[in-house]
Amino acid sequence: LLRQLNKEAVQHGVEGLTYLLTESSKLMISEIDFQDSIHVLGFSDELNKLLLQLYLDNRKEIRRILSELAPKLPSYHSLEWRLDVQLASRSLRQQIEPAVTIKLHLNQNEDQSARVLQTDPSTLLHLIRQLEQALGEMKTNHCRRIVRNMK
Amino acid sequence: MELSAYAQGGWRLLGDPRRFPRRPYAALLRAAFRSLLDHPQAGLDDPDLKDIDPTVLKHCHAAAATCILEAGKQKADISAISTCLEDCKLDKERIEQFCTEYQKNKDALEILLGSIGRSPLHITDVSWRLEYQIKSNQLHKTYQPSYLVTLNVENGDSGSHPDVSFSCTMEQLQDLVGKLKDAAKSLERATQM
Repeated sequence: LLRQLNKEAVQHGVEGLTYLLTESSKLMISEIDFQDSIHVLGFSDELNKLLLQLYLDNRKEIRRILSELAPKLPSYHSLEWRLDVQLASRSLRQQIEPAVTIKLHLNQNEDQSARVLQTDPSTLLHLIRQLEQALGEMKTNHCRRIVRNMK
Repeated sequence: MELSAYAQGGWRLLGDPRRFPRRPYAALLRAAFRSLLDHPQAGLDDPDLKDIDPTVLKHCHAAAATCILEAGKQKADISAISTCLEDCKLDKERIEQFCTEYQKNKDALEILLGSIGRSPLHITDVSWRLEYQIKSNQLHKTYQPSYLVTLNVENGDSGSHPDVSFSCTMEQLQDLVGKLKDAAKSLERATQM
């Protein structure tokens, strides 16, 4: 069927469809708004229903792909840890120095990187305290109010 | 505890009251400790040292510093140090003076020696930022919380180093904290063994 149309028509068709689906997904428009938008194109009811279904079925995936385009920093992937005790070094013997060695896996644009870091027991506890506080913030009244009002 | 022939030679000079009277001896000990723990030139401008021949001064300063570092490295006790200095013909009073000065500076010395050496970047602190994403130019109505975590790291030798920053979702941060807590629990159990 496609062979009967000329190349340009197919190209325009694909571009138009892409634009329609991408813009709709980006703006997260409602079903009703979508239907109103395509109504002006003057297509048949059957085609309109098809387009709406296409939008609803693919919206989530399209949004996921679009989210990759936003500016961002390396993101957390996972973390491995290990306990070490330093017993001696060239400059000092008879040591007992506990340390926590951490391998932090980060993602950035398809690349994975791993950073090896180390910390001491008291800093580890400090890190945990600080990050637990960070997690707790979303549950505060202030943040809850903002999340409610933003929707 | 053993010293090199050069260091022993220096100590023999230090033990000689004709070359090193009492006051210069005390001044040199102070200078040796300060030059290791504070900065290299410290203490050498002490007026009590001005009459000492510069070559002798250099030799003795090196000998004293070598002894201090070797004692620190081996975590030598007083009897080991005393034996070592006796071999260099130092009298009891001078040995005692050195040991007293050594005891005073032992902890600082240990910290200094322990900090020398290679190790992975050391995390010293963490800062975080919580943001609520609303939209980007590519995607509207995103509405989700996002954390930006920065780990402050230090390099043992050169001090500061660019920090490690990354973003994460709430679930990812929970995963991170969970793993750190596992490490802390393990650490606690290990110290109780």
